[in-house]
Amino acid sequence: MEINDKNPVEKDELTGDKLLSGHDYDNIRELDNKLPKWWVWLFIITIVYAVVYLLVFDVFRIAPHQEAEYANEMAAVASLAPAPQAMVFDTLMVPLTDQPALDAGKAIFDKNCVVCHKTQGQGLVGPNLTDNYSIHGCRFIDAVNVIATGVPEKGMISWKTQLTKEQIIQVASYTMTLRGTNPPDPKAPQGDPCK
Amino acid sequence: MENQNFYYDNKTVKFFAYATLFWGVIGMVVGLLLALQFIWPQLTFGIPYTTFGRIRPIHTNAVIFAFVGNGMFTGIYYSLQRLCKARMFSDILSKIHFWGWQLIIVAAALTFAFGFTTGKEYAELEWPIDILVAVIWIVFGWNMIGTIIKRRTRHIYVAIWFYLATFVTVAVLHVANSIEIPVTFFKSYIVYAGVQDALVQWWYGHNAVAFFLTTPFLGLMYYYLPKAANRPIYSYRLSIVHFWALIFLYIWAGPHHLIYSALPNWAQSLGVVFSVMLIAPSWGGMVNGLLTLRGAWDKVREDPVLKFMVVAVTAYGMSTFEGPMMSTKTVNAISHFTDWTVGHAHIGALGWNGFMTFAVLYWLIPRIFRTNLYSKKMANTHFWIGTLGIIFYAVPLYWGAITQFLMWKEFTAEGFLKYPNFLETVTQLRPMYAARAIGGGLYIVGVVMGVYNLILTIRQGDFLAEEAASAPALEPVSGKRAAGEGAHRWLERRPVQFTIFALLAILIGGIIEIVPLYLIKTNIPTIASVKPYTPLELQGRDIYVREGCYTCHSQEVRPFRSETERYGQYSKAGEYVYDHPFQWGSKRNGPDLSREGVVNGKQYKPNSWHYNHMLNPQKLNAQSIMPVYKWLIADDLDMSTTAKKIRVMQMLGVPYPAGFDKTANDVLLQQASLISADLKTQGIDCAPNKEIIAVIAYLQRLGVDIHSAGLSAASASENPVK
Ligand code: HEC
Repeated sequence: MEINDKNPVEKDELTGDKLLSGHDYDNIRELDNKLPKWWVWLFIITIVYAVVYLLVFDVFRIAPHQEAEYANEMAAVASLAPAPQAMVFDTLMVPLTDQPALDAGKAIFDKNCVVCHKTQGQGLVGPNLTDNYSIHGCRFIDAVNVIATGVPEKGMISWKTQLTKEQIIQVASYTMTLRGTNPPDPKAPQGDPCK
Repeated sequence: MENQNFYYDNKTVKFFAYATLFWGVIGMVVGLLLALQFIWPQLTFGIPYTTFGRIRPIHTNAVIFAFVGNGMFTGIYYSLQRLCKARMFSDILSKIHFWGWQLIIVAAALTFAFGFTTGKEYAELEWPIDILVAVIWIVFGWNMIGTIIKRRTRHIYVAIWFYLATFVTVAVLHVANSIEIPVTFFKSYIVYAGVQDALVQWWYGHNAVAFFLTTPFLGLMYYYLPKAANRPIYSYRLSIVHFWALIFLYIWAGPHHLIYSALPNWAQSLGVVFSVMLIAPSWGGMVNGLLTLRGAWDKVREDPVLKFMVVAVTAYGMSTFEGPMMSTKTVNAISHFTDWTVGHAHIGALGWNGFMTFAVLYWLIPRIFRTNLYSKKMANTHFWIGTLGIIFYAVPLYWGAITQFLMWKEFTAEGFLKYPNFLETVTQLRPMYAARAIGGGLYIVGVVMGVYNLILTIRQGDFLAEEAASAPALEPVSGKRAAGEGAHRWLERRPVQFTIFALLAILIGGIIEIVPLYLIKTNIPTIASVKPYTPLELQGRDIYVREGCYTCHSQEVRPFRSETERYGQYSKAGEYVYDHPFQWGSKRNGPDLSREGVVNGKQYKPNSWHYNHMLNPQKLNAQSIMPVYKWLIADDLDMSTTAKKIRVMQMLGVPYPAGFDKTANDVLLQQASLISADLKTQGIDCAPNKEIIAVIAYLQRLGVDIHSAGLSAASASENPVK
């Protein structure tokens, strides 16, 4: 039954809203309510947003796309970013010995180095740091240099882009304290013996 | 017209209901196991079949296609017959549909456990099962449309509109996203590569959410909610507007899974704006559901069915607001790749789909068994435990996600990453993962209670397999629009035309987005230094796919300082042109791997590290949650497939020289021997023909091509090298 003059309008008892006649599906009825106003506005606002967005980003290109955004982000920190090449160390440097510095060194070691050198420096993928042998020289500056510039082809990455100069000296100093500690399960010596 | 007598088929409904409960419990328990593996990685048991990357697809597919799928068929088979005043079109098709679907589920679970996967999230099924899915889906559609055509009601109700849209769209999505070239019976390569594959995949993935988890359930809501509340639908006009708006807009929104990726900017923008425009159409469904309850809120307090529905609809409203927010660049930049996405998905899955499914079952099972629900009290307890479970599941993940992105992005005053070691950011989250597992556990307790309650209901009931009904036959009327008949009212009595319009509505968005990516070359600027994988790397990559490494690792560095500092250059479209399938991933429980092989990079590891790491990640990092992969070290690489793989890749346009398939294995062994020899220098004995060698070769290749090009980040994207 469609609504027409002869069919009086039916109403829902509880709300008084108009029922649509002829809309009866397995006893489910439908009301003739309008779209809620706030809902219509919400829809319109999102459509306006969409149009403006596309105009701004893709038609007039007023707002930056991701490549430009990235360039801006990097430019903003350019002054901050470390200049790795500029990191030079004094060849005659001696290891730090004060406790706070060694503690800081150990923290850096535990966070970054144990994955290859193991927790006590006994070595696994990387060499044993506790024995009296070394692949790249026995002086303190040799250790510092290996940490700073790495030995990429062997898998030792360069840390100067991830650690500050001070941190590199701290962690290198800490590794010096590991020598001769004889931890369990050490890796066989590699390199040349140190005097 | 004379009354016709006929019978409703309740047996198929019953079967689907049983399957829903059965697979629901299994799918969720596997989910719990996954959650526990983040707390105790040993729970992968050191065997392939239960490892995280293989059972995660079992969990997602079981919940989506087995639990929610069977639940939706239960609800559709019951309601469709009554809305059409007709028995299902064909009992045989109903049987084929039911058993075929269960067969697919069993095949899916087994093949995933064995590592047969396409490596595309939510579409992991290999090609023979894909074909089976297509066939069974058509059977379902045929049975449904057949029923609609022989209906005894003039117009089709809004629930049926949603069922029809579900049928046509899922068919299109599934077929388009599964065009694969078989290599063997259990291995194929998708025809799309890299960025194109990503776009098609997420067009599919997003719309699987839309048309498998949303539209059919809106259809169910439109039938069961007014039934349970015994109230008329609030607004027929709202039904019309939100239905068409929803299906038309949804299909465009897929790229919101790829914001800040290597996908061209214009496609990303479409993903953003269409997602935002989806808020109102989605909420249209929620509003129409909740306002239908006007005047019946006293019933909601009493009736567990309505309680479940109210929370389900509310969860739907929440996640359809959250989703568009996550699609904006601002939010996506921080939420993407974190567990926020996982929390979001579970508000939908546990709240909307899970609760709606149980509401339907609690309503329908007592009816077809001609009894009352065994215990209303138990159902109420299920409701409360389930609700708590959802909260305990989602809140820790949201909290964890915030922690995660803050840690990923934090820099020290000197300009270094505060947490350069990715694992730190994972370890920090483990308490949150534990809380999430408790939430999931609670939800399962509720589900088990529900299953128990329904079993007792079934036992006390008396099943009515053939339910007698009668209705007058439909008088034939003119197909033309009658005077005064609204256009939509006319369409409602023309189901075939209706289906075609729905199909057109969903095709427009898909075509406009996807086709240009194929036709316009500048969309994917090529990079000269990017070369095809060597045979060994290709085999390694296939193992990477097989093991589901993408379930924890992404391969997509976004253009943020926090990412380029951590990983290296951000990803370019041209890098991925030989990736069948793409492996960008969707979350990072481990670090991004796309720059893993760059020797001067931030992440580089020697071969021996990878060997040791795969053998036992916890030995290198006590806190690691990565599973043990020791079988890669024990198992021989299957080299019998190399030649065929090369030939299929050639078919797909990968420029291997002609005849390369014949020498591919020699080249493979040559490269493998080098790696084996290098391991030897580190004291590791590993024959060149082991799987691990291939995996190492692949990992060491990642990112190498683009870095060797020596291109700066900006020049690669702006001046495509031709
Ligand atoms: C359950 C999640 C998970 C799965 C699955 C997983 N990983 Fe990992 N992966 C991790 C986590 C966490 C880390 C960081 C801690 C570590 O190094 O073990 C990691 C680290 C890695 C690393 C080192 C990255 C770096 O630069 O530090 C590689 C390489 C890797 N995984 C490869 C794989 C491969 C290959 C697979 C599949 C065979 C895989 N992963 C599967 C979680 C996972």
